[in-house]
Amino acid sequence: MEVLRINEISKNYGSIKALDGLSLTVENGQVLGILGPNGSGKTTTLGIILGILRPNHGNFTWFENRYHGKHKLHIGSILETPNFLPYLNADDNLDIVRQIKKIDKQNFDELLDMVKLRQRRKSPFKTYSLGMKQRLAIAATLIGDPQVVIFDEPTNGLDPEGIAEVRSTLKDIANQGKTVIMASHILDEVEKICSHVAILKKGKLLATGPVGSILSNDMTLEISAVNMDALIGFLRSNPMIKSFTKTESFLECIASDELDIAALNVNALEHDIRINHLVSRKRRLEEEFLEITGNEN
Amino acid sequence: MLRLIKLEWSKFSKNTIIVLLFIFFILFFPASLYIGKLMPDLPSFLPGREIFFNFPTVWEYLGYAGNWTVFFFLGVLVIYTVTIEVNNKTMRQSIINGLSRNEFFASKMINIVLLSTFATLFYCILSLGVGFINGENESLSSAFDNDYAIPRFFLMSFSYMNFAIFLALIFRKSGIAVFLYLTYVMIIEMILRWVVHMKIDNSELINYYPMNVTEDLMPFPFLRYADFIQNNEIEFPILLTTQEAVLATLAYSFLFLSISYITFMRRDI
Repeated sequence: MEVLRINEISKNYGSIKALDGLSLTVENGQVLGILGPNGSGKTTTLGIILGILRPNHGNFTWFENRYHGKHKLHIGSILETPNFLPYLNADDNLDIVRQIKKIDKQNFDELLDMVKLRQRRKSPFKTYSLGMKQRLAIAATLIGDPQVVIFDEPTNGLDPEGIAEVRSTLKDIANQGKTVIMASHILDEVEKICSHVAILKKGKLLATGPVGSILSNDMTLEISAVNMDALIGFLRSNPMIKSFTKTESFLECIASDELDIAALNVNALEHDIRINHLVSRKRRLEEEFLEITGNEN
Repeated sequence: MLRLIKLEWSKFSKNTIIVLLFIFFILFFPASLYIGKLMPDLPSFLPGREIFFNFPTVWEYLGYAGNWTVFFFLGVLVIYTVTIEVNNKTMRQSIINGLSRNEFFASKMINIVLLSTFATLFYCILSLGVGFINGENESLSSAFDNDYAIPRFFLMSFSYMNFAIFLALIFRKSGIAVFLYLTYVMIIEMILRWVVHMKIDNSELINYYPMNVTEDLMPFPFLRYADFIQNNEIEFPILLTTQEAVLATLAYSFLFLSISYITFMRRDI
């Protein structure tokens, strides 16, 4: 089933084009990461599909129009920051969300356990740390067991411990089979949590698809030899080496993940090329991302 | 509707500023009776000041007291019910969570209708209580012979709070909205009427400013008699008739409500 369809959405803030004809489809059960640098239009996209920003052009449809405008009762979401009344405690704030979602009265024990806030449930929201606030917001998105949850930069501003906690909570949510839409500028986060990715830059969709197909499995090879010229010639003749660039002390190659490094080493020696530096690493997502978004800096 | 009322109650019944403003309204409104007691003697052609506490003048007197207390305490209170939600982004989050914009707007309107109803009931109880305690052998029919004071009071309360909501939704920041609300009603409109407008056009139109028409729904008792002592520069009555005030207030209320609604529905949140 199609959960969300976005058709040709554009949004301007004065003369600035925040979104430029964006189209995107999200299927049931996908964990979609919307990836892009700051200012690429991620939050604007989420703001529009959640009804708080008005697009200048285009439209979107939730759940194939099955809920006749009441779709938001089936979506849990946080946008940018956790938004609660500072003078109310966790229970009171969650209860407000419950009332809006038209759900019967309940205690929030299970939810508060999941986000580790049960001990502090009676403290006013304003006394919470940023991580606690974020966790309460995640708990709020799950009230009423929504089909879709949406997070916007869920680990922004958190300390390493907070990031780890929030990521593990997000993984748990994704594993429950819910459709998750998550905006992030952190590639690592998207790769670890998401099944699908949509890459935005300057309000345009650059690429979309399963994480594996967009963020390739190529590896990076650092290699140097006593005779660098011979090495370059040798690498050129190897079809597994897709490209290379020269750095001061070695060549940095992009190679297929099928490349057998040990065989490469032996083969080089047979050609009388003595390799004195050889490091392989999985290609960094940042490199992948910069290549896709065409940003060379 | 009950859902929206419960929701607003959950949001604000534990907010210190809002609770204090409400308590101050309940305390200060009846406290105005003491001011009546302390007032200097009235001009000799008028009855003694005890008339303020007898039917039907008690309706006018407490109505005028309500004019100030509703304007100040309840007006500022409803501004906070909007700006607290803007400041903490809970307005935005409510829409994200599934409240429609219509429902959010309606919840604020329900607030001011309920507060106006409460203020009007309180006004009735006070007026009847004071009137019966101070009058002799008053009948129920003479007690209610008050020239539609009750619906006038309700409309006045609604109009002040509607204007307050209008400013809150347009300006969104509590400081700016409260400052503009208080200064507009107490200072800016006075200057517009008596300085700016007066210079251009010395006519009865000067009375048709939005908060003046609201105020004229419940003017100070006997102010009409001031017409006898007005200075020669003003060639028109300084008060609107009840009918004029009601019609003009209804028109302005409709205007402010429409602008608030249209702006709220169209704007990014």
